[in-house]
Amino acid sequence: MEELLKKISEVVAEGEAEEAVALVKEALGKGVGPLTILNEGASKGMDIVSEQYNLGEAYLPELVLAGDAMTAVLDVLFASMDKEELAASRVGTVVIGQAKGDVHDIGKNIVSALLAVNGFEVHDIGTDVPVKKFIETAKEVKADIVLVSTLLTTSLPYLSDTLQYISDSGFRDKWYYGVGGGPVTPEFSKKLGVDGWSRTAFDCVEMCKKLLTDKKPGQGEIIMVDSEA
Amino acid sequence: MFNYKVQRLLNNLDKAYQGPIIPMKEWDTRIIPKTIKGILKKYNLQNTLDMENPISSNDELADTFFRAGWELALELGLYCEDTERVIKVTEEEILECMRDYPSQLILGEGQDQVVMKPRRPEDPHTPLLAASLGIVCSEENYLPLVQGIVKYNKLVDVLHGPTLATVFGREIRSGTPYETLMGNYESHLKKEALWRAGRPGMACTGVAGAVTEYGHLGGAPAVAGQGNVTMSLCPVELKCTFSNFHRIIQGLNYGHKLRIGGFSYIGGYAGSPEGAALANIATDLLIPTILQADYTSSYVYDIHLFGNCGRKALWANSVAHQAVSRNTGFMRNKIVNETGGPCTKMFMYESAVGLMNHCVSGASKTTQPRSAGGRYTDYITPMEAWWCGDVFKSCAGMTRKEANEIANKILPKYEEKLMAPDKGLPVNECFDLKNQVPLENYRELYTEVREELIDIGMPLDKCFGDWYMGKMEQRHRLFV
Repeated sequence: MEELLKKISEVVAEGEAEEAVALVKEALGKGVGPLTILNEGASKGMDIVSEQYNLGEAYLPELVLAGDAMTAVLDVLFASMDKEELAASRVGTVVIGQAKGDVHDIGKNIVSALLAVNGFEVHDIGTDVPVKKFIETAKEVKADIVLVSTLLTTSLPYLSDTLQYISDSGFRDKWYYGVGGGPVTPEFSKKLGVDGWSRTAFDCVEMCKKLLTDKKPGQGEIIMVDSEA
Repeated sequence: MFNYKVQRLLNNLDKAYQGPIIPMKEWDTRIIPKTIKGILKKYNLQNTLDMENPISSNDELADTFFRAGWELALELGLYCEDTERVIKVTEEEILECMRDYPSQLILGEGQDQVVMKPRRPEDPHTPLLAASLGIVCSEENYLPLVQGIVKYNKLVDVLHGPTLATVFGREIRSGTPYETLMGNYESHLKKEALWRAGRPGMACTGVAGAVTEYGHLGGAPAVAGQGNVTMSLCPVELKCTFSNFHRIIQGLNYGHKLRIGGFSYIGGYAGSPEGAALANIATDLLIPTILQADYTSSYVYDIHLFGNCGRKALWANSVAHQAVSRNTGFMRNKIVNETGGPCTKMFMYESAVGLMNHCVSGASKTTQPRSAGGRYTDYITPMEAWWCGDVFKSCAGMTRKEANEIANKILPKYEEKLMAPDKGLPVNECFDLKNQVPLENYRELYTEVREELIDIGMPLDKCFGDWYMGKMEQRHRLFV
C-alpha cells in the first residue's frame, strides 16, 4: 500500500492528472481511506513540487500542472468522503483575480497554483477583473476568501472599490479579503482595512491558512505574512 | 504613415484572426515550456548557466543560443490573447524585417536630438539613456522631479518619466476617463519640465502612467511627431493583445517611433535561466517582425528575486543580449530592475552591475531607474537617473571579460540582500527638489560609491570625469 501512496505522490508532483486519478481510484478500490490517500499520498506530492519550486528546481508550469492534478484528485476524493471526512479535508475556497486594468498574471498564477497544491479549492477568475465579478464568483462558489492582486498603481483604487463593494453588498462578515502585489504595501493594506496581506506567493498560502483559523472576516487585526522581513 | 509598416501590421492583425486556435492555459503551461525544453535539448544548451561568470564572453554560446532562439521564434510565433490564436511567422518574414530595419533612429529634435544605433558586444559607441521608469510620484513633486532628472544632457538623453499618483487630486483608475485625462496631463507636465530644464526638444517615450490604450490616447497628441516614441508592453510569455495593437496604431497615427516590449521570466513559463534567455531571443526577433517595433524593450527578469540583478538573470540577459547583438542589427532597450531604493549603496551597486552588463552586451538604449523596485510612492530622485547615465555610458568600449571581473567584485556587496533589499529614502529626505541638488547624505554616499567603483576598475573617471560632481552643489532654483 505504501508503494501505491508513494506513486500517487510522485504522479501528482509530476502533474499527471489522469494517472493520478486512476491511481487514487485504484487505492479507493483497495479500501484505502480517502483521508489517508490525501494526507499520505497527494499532499506529499504537493510538498515535493512546492519545495522544488522554492529551491528553483521547478518552475511555474510544473506548479500549475501539479495544481491541476491535485484538483482532479480532490474531486475524486471528496466524492468518496462522508461529512466528517469532508470537513477534515477541506482547507477553504478561494476566489482570486488580478484587479481591473491589470493584465499581469504570472504572480497571481503562482499564488493560484500554490494554493491549489496546498489543498485550497481555487477559482482563478483571471486578469483585468471588474469589481462586480469578484462578488458574483464568491457568491456562486461559496467562497471563504477573496484575493485581489495588482502590480500597477493605477489599479490600486480597485482594491479599495472591491472591499467597498463587498461591504455594501452585505458580505463583509462572510468572506475574508486579502490583497497583494508589487505596489501593495503593508501600510496601504492596513489603511484599506483588509483582513490579510502577504509579500510572496508562499506567504499568501500561509496568510490564507491563518485567516481561516485566527479571525473572523472584517474583524480584528490585519494578518500580515512577510517572509522577507 | 501608410507605409509598409502599416501593411505588415495589418497582415499580422489578420493572422490574429486566422492562426491556430490554442487555449491560453495550454499555451502557457504546455506549449511554451515543452517547446523551450525541446529546443534547449536539441542545441545542448541545458545547464549552460555559469554562476561564476555572470557576464558571459562566450561568442560560440551566444551564437548557438541565437540559432536556437531563431528556431523557437519560427516554431511558436506570438500568441494573441484576445482571439486565442497564434500569429505565426515565416523565416522570410523575419529576414525581410531584418533587411528593411533602419540603420539608426533619430530621437528628439533640434539641439536635443540624439541618434540611436545598433550596437555589438564591446561596442565603443555610447548608448542612450532614457529616464525614468514609471515609478509613482506625488502630483506636486512631478514637475521638479522631471526637471531634475533631465538636468544633465550628458547623462540623460530621452525622457520617459515617473508615474503620477493622482490627477488633480483624484486617484487614477486604469482604463477609465481618469487615465485618459492623466495621459494628457502627464504629457503637458513633461513638456513644461523639459522647457524649464532648457531641453525642449528632448524625445519623450510615450505616457509613463498609461497602462491601457486610454492613457496613450490621452497623451500622444501632446507629444506628436517623428522624434517621439510610443511604448507598448506585451504580456509574458510570447504573447500580445489587441491593446498592444491599439497603442501601436495610435503611435503610427501620431507619427511616433515604436518601442515595443516583451519580457521573459526565470521561474515563469519559460522555466530555467537558459529557457528565459531563449524566450528573450525569440521575443527580440518576433516583436519587430510582427508588431513592427522600431526597437524592442525586452529583458530577462527573475521572479524569485523580483528583479534582474542576481547572477542568474545577469547571465541570461548577457547571453540573450549578445546572441541578438552579434547576429542582427536590431536595436534594443534593455532595463535593469534594481530592488534597492534611493540613497542606498545597494541601488548603486545593482545598477552598476546590470547596466555594465547591458552596455558591454550590445544594448542601444536603457530606461532607468527602477529604484526600490518601483514599489513605493516618491522613492525616486534625479540622482538615480544621473548615476545610471554615468555608469551605462562610461562602460562603452569595455571588454566583457573586464566587465565580468568587476561584476564579480561588486556582486558580493549586495547579492545576499536581494530577497530583502534596502528600501532607501523618499525624495524629500535625500534631495532638495526646489534647488535641484542632492542633500548632504546622498551627495556623500554617491561620491563614496563612485570612488569605490572607480578603485575597483569601473571607468567612470575616464568618460565623464568629475564634471557634474562639482555641479551638484550648484542650485537651479525653480520658477515656483
